[in-house]
Amino acid sequence: MVTWMIALKSMVIGALVGFGVGAGAARMFHAPNVQGMGAFRTFGELNACAGDPISHFSFGLGFFFNAWASVVGAGALTQDVDHRILPNWTAALLLWKNKNVEETLHDPKKMAIVGAVVGAVVVTLLNSTATAIPQSMQLVATKVLVPAANWLINPIMPIVFWMAAMDAGKRTGVWGTVLGGFSHLVMGNAVPGIVLGILIGKGLDDSGWNRITKTLVTAVVLLFILSGFFRAFDVALLKSIQVDVPQWLIDLHEMFGSVVNK
Amino acid sequence: MNEGQTKGFWYSEWAFPLFVACLSSGIFAGTHLYYVYHVGAFNDIAIVAMLEAGIKGGGYGAAAAFGASFLFARVLEGPLVGILDIGGSLQTGIGIGVPALMLSAGMTAPLLSFPLALVTGALLGLIIGAVIVLIRTFTINAAKSTFGADVMMGAGNAAGRYLGPLIVISAIMASIPVGIGATIGAAVFYYFKKPIAGGAIIGAMILGAMFPIPPQ
Repeated sequence: MVTWMIALKSMVIGALVGFGVGAGAARMFHAPNVQGMGAFRTFGELNACAGDPISHFSFGLGFFFNAWASVVGAGALTQDVDHRILPNWTAALLLWKNKNVEETLHDPKKMAIVGAVVGAVVVTLLNSTATAIPQSMQLVATKVLVPAANWLINPIMPIVFWMAAMDAGKRTGVWGTVLGGFSHLVMGNAVPGIVLGILIGKGLDDSGWNRITKTLVTAVVLLFILSGFFRAFDVALLKSIQVDVPQWLIDLHEMFGSVVNK
Repeated sequence: MNEGQTKGFWYSEWAFPLFVACLSSGIFAGTHLYYVYHVGAFNDIAIVAMLEAGIKGGGYGAAAAFGASFLFARVLEGPLVGILDIGGSLQTGIGIGVPALMLSAGMTAPLLSFPLALVTGALLGLIIGAVIVLIRTFTINAAKSTFGADVMMGAGNAAGRYLGPLIVISAIMASIPVGIGATIGAAVFYYFKKPIAGGAIIGAMILGAMFPIPPQ
């Protein structure tokens, strides 16, 4: 019964996701005139397969196994379902009949409609087989995957992004380092801060201080102040340098529904 | 690029929010599946683990902050480069960040009910799509920068490569048979030019089914 519910819901979800991914991927080929949706790596990979249906299919297949192992182990489909499997298999199906990429892969209408079908099948297949795997095997996967995933989040990803920021130039390195450090303090992980640092640093490198970069920096500063406040970083900071937390600050936190421990 | 080809509904600006709405509706409903049946979240294990930590009672702060800041960064970047990154904005932002924010505020209804999840996701997608189109109309052709999207793309790919070896190490620390299984699985997948993370997991699971990991 539960498996049926999952399969039914997965069909709806898969069709919706496949439709969006297909249209977005095809529109990427017309960016920046048309707003696309997907990812730069997806765009690069779709181009790398050069309109060959076998390449598109086998590229997706590699990630399909990975997604299957992940959904069986931890219930997570991986981002590759949307990034790689659906766009590449949709492309493979369309290219199988017509090798001209401009009439297939680059056409949002065809990609969206075929994508919906591919999505419904792939997502249903992945989700319903995952529930059929014995509990003991799922336990092994979780026990192996959870520690590995935690290491990846911290410290591997912050280090990799940090080094990429530093290798991309002095301005990016400085912004990445400062925002990365603050982000690890305030948000618990450096990656969002480093990403924003790269965004600001590269923006400044390419276009200097203009309206867009100024808006960006203002928005980032606001983001840090707000998330610092809502995670009670201000209180923790004052306590760690042995300053008494003023009553008005405690009251302010209470106004937003969070209780501050003295 | 032939200008004449990029006209009509499927290429129009206002169709974009509709596509985003479809995708984010599906992704949000995927998180509903995960919340209820523990299967079907559209994200990597590493990121889903943050939401899981919250569901298990460890606080939603990490998932909410991580998801929300990715959403924010990608929505800013999307209209500037012409490609909205669905990994950061929708899969992590809408699929993990927003549910974490809702759950931390005690709102469980959008995640418990399938129809409500679909509607919530679609509405959020419409808003995001509309914001992006709005930013585009203000900044179109004003910025010639890609805002380091290539740098982030490179780092994202590089970070993903670490997962394979990490899984093998983690398997070896779990038990000897599971470790052997993961090592062989990774080697076989590498030989056939597949991502070794998948091979390591399958190898670990096969050996783990024969020789269960002793409970601590």
